[in-house]
Amino acid sequence: MEKVIDLSPIERPKKSTPWSAISVKSRLILIVASLVPAVIFLYLLTTFNLDFMAGLLLTFLPMQLVSSSLAGILILGRRGILDGLMIVTTLFLGSFVFVLLMSVMWAVIERGFAALSPQFIYQNDVYVTPTTGLEIGGVGHAIVGTLLLVGLSTIVTVPLALATAVYLTETRSKSRGLIRTLLQALSGLPSVVSGLFIYSMLIVTGVTAYAGWVGSLALIPLMLPTVARVAEEALRLVPTELRNGALGLGASAWSAFSQVTLPAAKSGLVTAVLLGVARIVGETAPLLLTTALANNTSLNMIEGGISTLPTYLYTYVGLGYDTSIQRAWGAALVLLIVVGILFAGARIASAGKKAKKRK
Amino acid sequence: MTDIVPPKRKLRVKPTSKSDRIFYGISTAGANSTIVIVLAIMFFLTINAWPTFEKFGVINFVFGSGWDNTLENPSFAIGPMLYGSFLIAGIGVVLAVPMAISIAYFIEFMAAKPIAKATALLVDLLAAIPSVVIGLWGLTIFSTVGAGWGEMLHDSLGFLPMFENDAGNFLRTPFIAGFIVAVMIVPIIASVTREIFSQIDKDLISASLALGGNRESTFRKIILPTSSGGITGGVLLALGRALGETVAIFFVLNLVFDEVNWLRIVLPEGGAVASLILAKFSDATADEVSALLAAGVVLFVFTLFINVIASYIVNKAQPWRK
Repeated sequence: MEKVIDLSPIERPKKSTPWSAISVKSRLILIVASLVPAVIFLYLLTTFNLDFMAGLLLTFLPMQLVSSSLAGILILGRRGILDGLMIVTTLFLGSFVFVLLMSVMWAVIERGFAALSPQFIYQNDVYVTPTTGLEIGGVGHAIVGTLLLVGLSTIVTVPLALATAVYLTETRSKSRGLIRTLLQALSGLPSVVSGLFIYSMLIVTGVTAYAGWVGSLALIPLMLPTVARVAEEALRLVPTELRNGALGLGASAWSAFSQVTLPAAKSGLVTAVLLGVARIVGETAPLLLTTALANNTSLNMIEGGISTLPTYLYTYVGLGYDTSIQRAWGAALVLLIVVGILFAGARIASAGKKAKKRK
Repeated sequence: MTDIVPPKRKLRVKPTSKSDRIFYGISTAGANSTIVIVLAIMFFLTINAWPTFEKFGVINFVFGSGWDNTLENPSFAIGPMLYGSFLIAGIGVVLAVPMAISIAYFIEFMAAKPIAKATALLVDLLAAIPSVVIGLWGLTIFSTVGAGWGEMLHDSLGFLPMFENDAGNFLRTPFIAGFIVAVMIVPIIASVTREIFSQIDKDLISASLALGGNRESTFRKIILPTSSGGITGGVLLALGRALGETVAIFFVLNLVFDEVNWLRIVLPEGGAVASLILAKFSDATADEVSALLAAGVVLFVFTLFINVIASYIVNKAQPWRK
């Protein structure tokens, strides 16, 4: 009799995460445990006219905590208590952040749309006093100013930042670590310090008065680290084999970069630029320290006042009248739309890259 | 025998063609612009702030209190402001850390993929909102709510010195400013934490669960210990951001220059260096401008210090980045 030895390996169970299986009984317990506090809370809310926020914090949350720890005991035994508590706490804190975000967005959209009208977009504020109604005047000059200032900063910063990213990824110099550390330090630079820096360099020393281009300069230290670091990530994502292939075929470093690496990283670099613009478009403090306000449309970056959306918002909040606050909300909405467009553009640019990679 | 194997030669890449030399030259020049900017910031701020440091002494200026811009006998010190900055940033961090870790945990370990993606998008969106807009929201909408919460804290826990309030007014307190800061730094901490969470070895978590661990014990014994370094770095990054927050805090905080408000967080007295600069800048005398620049130097030094430590910790916690 020959022994037959089965050499085929032990079959791996199809479901290799048995702990995530939940029995029907546990499911029922979970549903009951999450529904009961909500029902009781709604009942209390309707019968006793509780304050919603206070009720939520002082009745619903404790009830939910108790019921989920009970559910934990029923399902897992005594060690289930902490499990239930943790899940409830996590969900509660997470939804709290969600509520905060919605509160901000809703406030801006609701109040901003109340102020928004075609003339609010294209008119300037020459004939506007703090109490003028919303029929005339708008943020037209501020939009133009923002475009000019941010445009100039972008033109100066993007080449610098891309060169830095190239230096960090394509060369093997020894000082890359230092540059990277400095970039990270610079990315935490308080925006007001950036404004003070340009102010002390150009305005205190008497080189120039408040002007648009000074404001643009003050935005550069804030934009540079963002663009450089995102661009570095994008260049790093390009596989080394591609580069080595080009170099192995005898290409010079420049042509390998411009014909292989750059096209491969293009969408990532676009994302970097868009994120950088989104970073500085809402900066207020540096512009308050380096530009003078104006209520007329000004294209002159060399001298004279120029308004931007954030400084417009800041000034009208400072005035404190009802209509001026309304104007500030309108400006906030316009600013948020601009940021939203940039943000969506960055998302689309980076999403396109991933889709291509999957094919 | 020893000489048979030739010593390893160092490979050297030298730009050979002209275009390569230009290429490397430009990238090096661009990279050096970072060094130039950092040095220029230090140089110009310090040189203009020097009169103040010389006149009042660095220690006195940083830790003393009082802000008097009379022309004959000015005296400037930012002790209360500096302490206030740290107090507000501390409140912000304390409020933000649980929220941020919860969101990161939800995205990485709890939610189904589409929900997790949507949540991550919302967190990024919160990070993209300009701080001046959050400041406007804080001033017109959150201030009243936050004042109500402050009053609740005072009524229920007023016996603690922390929640004392003899002003009868709960608006413009460090608590509200701290909360606004928390809203702004939650996305920073959340995104760092999420990155760290996503890189934890999944086998470790499976092993913990297979050995009978539950969600909570896996979180406490596996996830937190392996990611605590990175989270600390993220918190420090957020702290740096919170210290530099200017406009939003200026909108919602009552600045008091004469004395330090040590702990009474629901009292409408507080300080913040960045907001001080904004508050005093528009009608500053010549001496005062120098003092404001000196305040900027102090702020810069502190944030630089915190950021360098933070990025060191974050990089160390993410070895896969190298």
